[in-house]
Amino acid sequence: MIIGSQKPIDEIWSMVKDFKKVLVFACNTCVAICHAGGEKEAETIATLLRMRAGQEGKSMEVNFASVVRHCEPEYFEPVMEELQKYDLILSTACGVGVNFLSDRTGKIPVYPGINTSFYGAVESPGNFVELCAGCGNCILHLTGGICPIARCSKTLMNGPCGGTNKGKCEISPDVDCAWYLIVERMKKLGNLEKLAEIQPPRNWSTSRDGGPRRVSLEHIRAYEEQEELKSETAGGKK
Amino acid sequence: MSDVISKDEEHEMSADSAVEKKGTHLERMAPVKDSRPYSPCRAACPVNTDVQAYVGFIAQGRYNEAFEVIRSVNPIASVCSMICHHPCEQSCRRCNVDEPLAVRPLKRFVLESTTEYRRNKRKLVEKTKGKSIGIVGSGPSGLTAANDLADLGYQVSIYERHPVLGGMLASAIPPYRLPRKTLQEDIDDVISKGIEVRTGCEIGRDITISDIISKHDAVLLALGLSQSRSLNIPGVDGPGVLLAIPFLEDVAFGRKPALGGRVLVIGGGNVAMDVARSARRLGVNNVEMICLESAEEMPAWKWEVDEAVEEGISIHHRWGPKAVSREGDKVKGLEVVKVTQVFDTNGRFSPAFDNNQTKFIEADTIIITIGQMANVSFLKDSPVQVDERGRVVWDPKTHMSSARGVFCSGEVVTGPGSAIAAAASGHRSAMAIHLYLQGENIEGRLPSYEKEKIPQLPSEVVERITKEPRMKIKHLPPETRCSSFTAFEFNYDEEEALKEAGRCRGCGGGAVVDTKKCMACLTCQRVCPYGAPVVTSVSEIRPEYCQACGLCAPECPGEAISMVSYDVREFRDALPSVIGSVDPKRQDPVIVAFLCSHHVGVLGFSLPENIRKVAVHCTSRIDVNDLLKALECGADGVAVVRCSSATCKYKGIENRVKARVERTKQLVSMLGMEAGRVGILTADSNDVASYSSVCEEFANGIRQMGLRTR
Repeated sequence: MIIGSQKPIDEIWSMVKDFKKVLVFACNTCVAICHAGGEKEAETIATLLRMRAGQEGKSMEVNFASVVRHCEPEYFEPVMEELQKYDLILSTACGVGVNFLSDRTGKIPVYPGINTSFYGAVESPGNFVELCAGCGNCILHLTGGICPIARCSKTLMNGPCGGTNKGKCEISPDVDCAWYLIVERMKKLGNLEKLAEIQPPRNWSTSRDGGPRRVSLEHIRAYEEQEELKSETAGGKK
Repeated sequence: MSDVISKDEEHEMSADSAVEKKGTHLERMAPVKDSRPYSPCRAACPVNTDVQAYVGFIAQGRYNEAFEVIRSVNPIASVCSMICHHPCEQSCRRCNVDEPLAVRPLKRFVLESTTEYRRNKRKLVEKTKGKSIGIVGSGPSGLTAANDLADLGYQVSIYERHPVLGGMLASAIPPYRLPRKTLQEDIDDVISKGIEVRTGCEIGRDITISDIISKHDAVLLALGLSQSRSLNIPGVDGPGVLLAIPFLEDVAFGRKPALGGRVLVIGGGNVAMDVARSARRLGVNNVEMICLESAEEMPAWKWEVDEAVEEGISIHHRWGPKAVSREGDKVKGLEVVKVTQVFDTNGRFSPAFDNNQTKFIEADTIIITIGQMANVSFLKDSPVQVDERGRVVWDPKTHMSSARGVFCSGEVVTGPGSAIAAAASGHRSAMAIHLYLQGENIEGRLPSYEKEKIPQLPSEVVERITKEPRMKIKHLPPETRCSSFTAFEFNYDEEEALKEAGRCRGCGGGAVVDTKKCMACLTCQRVCPYGAPVVTSVSEIRPEYCQACGLCAPECPGEAISMVSYDVREFRDALPSVIGSVDPKRQDPVIVAFLCSHHVGVLGFSLPENIRKVAVHCTSRIDVNDLLKALECGADGVAVVRCSSATCKYKGIENRVKARVERTKQLVSMLGMEAGRVGILTADSNDVASYSSVCEEFANGIRQMGLRTR
């Protein structure tokens, strides 16, 4: 899932201070699970903003609301009318949600209430770790299920480098060396010899380097487009 | 039912919130799919009184609201507060931990604390329906039906053969169990709605059943079982042998029945206990009882038997009456024969005797209390059919007799039972009459009180519940209480009531998940000390495990969890009014103190005016957002006042609450505010004064920090 973390209240305040009516708008999926932008956190942010407005002597109405997900249009439908009542929507969804909503709110700006951090897992309550970089070309079968793209500081495909130190990465003793983990894992799997095979340079065009990406499922899209066409024609006849 | 006017508008605002759904009792009780199982106490109550809701109100000192919860389903609430056989207690889940919650005594505490409140609420209900109903009999069932039908806007007339209303409650239950002024409160509630009362009016003597049928649009026969059964044994006829009901009626109406120096009561039921104990109070020192059953088999409630024995009444178990022995007219005693079996192998009543074992019990007066039957002689030649065994023919699905528009309720058709069960029957019959008069189908639409209940506590949860002894009820000592018909049981004082109310585990009042908001994040499953939540595609909080501590709700990142009773939102929303407008020229800091309402005195003790206390079910329900809200509303400081871990009702909440306070400190620091404005304090639950002292100490710290300007 997507892991986010709250922005400092000062930063949020600098974004919102000139608006009169602000909605802190939560997403109750990924960012809620990581306690960054679910309804509860949205209420906290809303309260802090009202208190800050009071401190600054500004009159500002701040409310909060939530929907299940900010990344599918249907979830917005029941609240679209309500959203129109605000000068600013401070979304506590991930960046996806902010973009997605912003496209649909006309003149009302949508600002980010959190920083979108990474794709990660809940290692333990309150501990979220990055485990995937979304590079678009998965090679986890070659690396014992440990992603060198996301977890090696250098994104090396043929590691480890000379910076490995007793299982830790040279950048910080708190960061595991992904390649150390890969070697240990491959040993356990009895596949160590596979690591002797040199991985050729990767084609990064499936990742960010290839520009904005889109996944298009023709079999679903074609059907949907046909349906849309049908309803348009039917509407046209009227 | 859409034409039925809600009669709850008269409720005070505060009381309104006590009742989940608006409308009359019948509207609320109309069959609805209720997916959430009831607490066992509520399910066991014949009218499904929401016990944990009103006990919770008691714990918070909200007695009027507690009264509303009780009265919303029970028009004979005061009566039940004294004499109910309290199946709620027998089913209380604390039974598996230590002792059941003292529900009946707590009910009494509420009723006696709200007398003025209820009297002020009494008012006439407008007759909007233009139809009238005649109710024959004013016992629990008739009164309840009268209550409901009056609420629905019908003109109701009650016919009662005794000079006072109340049926058996007034004419047979001895006043030491049910003081008449207690009964009168319930009667006055009902009568104040505008009901025509015809006491001293016996059907068949003063008026015929046909007159009543022709006078009203519908008739309810709530006759009860007003006649004692007698025995068919030699010597039974003649002076010195009395029947229970006439005897109890004499007692009830202050006519002193003539008794000898040795009284023998035949029977082992609750009426037999009333008879024997009344005889003691009439000054008879030597009162004995015989019954077919052993002590374990006796139908009388155990506490009744225990109290009778305390009063010096001796019981001969497993003896059956054989013959009354007389010398001339005078009773000499009773010849009894040994019982070898009371019930057959199928559990059916089938007594057997050993005629070789007999004994003789000396007595001057014998009182037969072996059961009751209905007196339906006045129904002869009426359209209301009576079967060959003297029972009114009726259809339990519609409560209607064989005569259209004539309905029945209570013991006359259900057989002997409890007062509250008769009241339940009264509710059903009132609904039946209402539907009939509105030209609607009755079948399948009467309220059902059979509800699914929360299962017993799992053993792993039992182990985690702190044992707390039940608050004892004070009684007059047996030697004093037998000298009069005065009630011998004392009401709880406030301290006792609050302590006892705090023992309730709140079964059924715990956490529920809004599945639309739940993202299955596992947080609740991780935090629950009792293992209640199970998260699969969404969280399901198992009510049999949930102890209603509320720890999970503030942790839920999606705000998907709420509490059935006293949800956090309730007091968060109340904060602005609790804090009020903060005087900019104030000298003392305004402090909000969140206190656990479970410990005695928390509600009663007073704090300086600047410290605003908010009693919550448990401080585990306090959320970061509650603390922030208090500061937002202008408080100079906000504190969570915990009970010491040793006395906390719940396990393992302390560190979570501390963590929330720490988080709030971080957040207010981000606003440039002193973190010290948020505090967590620990008081000694056994020392009321410690709550004030820790709060005042905190307030002093805030004073030194300075008052907030913005």
